[in-house]
Amino acid sequence: MKLPNVCAAALAASLLVVTGASAQPKDWSSIRIATEGAYKPWNFTDPSGKLVGFEVDLALDLCLRMKAKCEIVAQAFDGMIPALNAGKFDAIMAGMNITDKRKEAIAFTQPYGRTPSTFAVLKSGALAKLPEPGKVYSLNPDGAAAAEKSLNDLKPMLKGKVIGVQTSTAQANFLEKYFKDVIEIRQYKTTEQHDLDLAAGRVDGVFASISYLKSVVEAPENKDMMLAGPRYGGGVLGFGVAVGLRKNDPELLAKFDAAVAAAVADGTVKTLSTKWFGFDITPQR
Amino acid sequence: MADYVELMGFGPRGWGLLLVRATLMTVAVSATAFALGGALGALIAWARIGGDRTLRLAADAYTTVLRGVPDLLVIYLLYFGGSLAVSALAQALGARGFVGVDAFAAGAIAVGAISGAYQSEVFRGAYGVIAPGELDAARSVGMPRLMLFRRIIVPQALRSAIPGLANVWQLALKESALISVVGLTEILRQAQVGAGSTRKPFAFFITAAALYLVLSTISGWGFERAEAVAMRGVRRS
Repeated sequence: MKLPNVCAAALAASLLVVTGASAQPKDWSSIRIATEGAYKPWNFTDPSGKLVGFEVDLALDLCLRMKAKCEIVAQAFDGMIPALNAGKFDAIMAGMNITDKRKEAIAFTQPYGRTPSTFAVLKSGALAKLPEPGKVYSLNPDGAAAAEKSLNDLKPMLKGKVIGVQTSTAQANFLEKYFKDVIEIRQYKTTEQHDLDLAAGRVDGVFASISYLKSVVEAPENKDMMLAGPRYGGGVLGFGVAVGLRKNDPELLAKFDAAVAAAVADGTVKTLSTKWFGFDITPQR
Repeated sequence: MADYVELMGFGPRGWGLLLVRATLMTVAVSATAFALGGALGALIAWARIGGDRTLRLAADAYTTVLRGVPDLLVIYLLYFGGSLAVSALAQALGARGFVGVDAFAAGAIAVGAISGAYQSEVFRGAYGVIAPGELDAARSVGMPRLMLFRRIIVPQALRSAIPGLANVWQLALKESALISVVGLTEILRQAQVGAGSTRKPFAFFITAAALYLVLSTISGWGFERAEAVAMRGVRRS
């Protein structure tokens, strides 16, 4: 009968701890921020169990600006939005893109990061010499004219080529919208799968977020692959990654918004993203 | 291979310590759930065998619902719904802010509730092996009900319930993986974290599978031993 006793005691204790710890004052002198802890380099865990990454550094910086004591907690990405609304924590910083669907459930600050999407190809392939490698275009209204021009410049080179993309992503929507009649779009369930087909030569290129592709082309087993062509962001590719908050906490939203704006303006976001991503992910306005 | 050993080892780059901790968490949450389920299952079995019409109906409804609804849904309901309910109750009593159920408690209660439904079936079946004559004999000498339960029913029913309970334990062990969705760092959640943090998903998921296999093999052996001990002196037909 020993084990059940121990278990019951543990259970009772854990219930008590929680009821004691939670009830928080609403002056936002202390804030609980949830992250996933498994999405390198945005937020991940080191082998000692410590949370690290771009968003962990940024969260600490934002909290200094808001003069708040912050606790960062790891939480599975599934169910993060309902847990926020149930009040388990007060903010989400987990590489979460602003989308219209999510905006129905929660509020977002202005974006603190936007990773453009680009092509990865084989060094020996036909697309290795796509023009303007590394140049960033915004599909938002202010940059759309320049972006459209660069897209049209790509079309002759891409004509008839097969491009792999992960299904039901913003990147797939992008290819459908701009290159539907030019290329053959091949959709894959995961990004790893289209990488394998690129290595095997079944597709001429893949199109994905650069934060993902960069780690792919840098892996030793993918030394035949390279990034190619311009980078695109905004528009159908999403509004960017931002802090997610409950809709009924407008004071906290205002605080976070001001802190994010300040961190973007004084170059903190640029410094931190260069440290973790190797390039600047500051959203272009 | 050397790379894999370093990744799963206990060195500065190794995830060994975190994985061991996660394994202990899996054992703790599964054992708590199983114990809760045992108590619940015994009560339900009693309601279905000895209860009046209302109790029987309630117990039947419980097992039907808990066995018929996806386990993940039960966990979501208890974790998110439970927190909302507890908060509302606390606020009605005058407390301010949010009061939550923690991941361990919510997970153990959810898996325990499901396990209880299955265990009640096992107990009900096991009760059937007791010869009605023995119960009549006990009553005829005026044995109080609790003593009858303790001396006549439990020793005999539990003995034949062991194989069934072993199955239910394996279920609880595997269902504990579902608790990863509420952020409790057990084996599966730790494997997901490691996979996302190192971009080596295969290494972590194969290790998680091995850890579950080790746990179920050890506990399977334990239940076998328990059965052998319990069955000493019982003639097998």
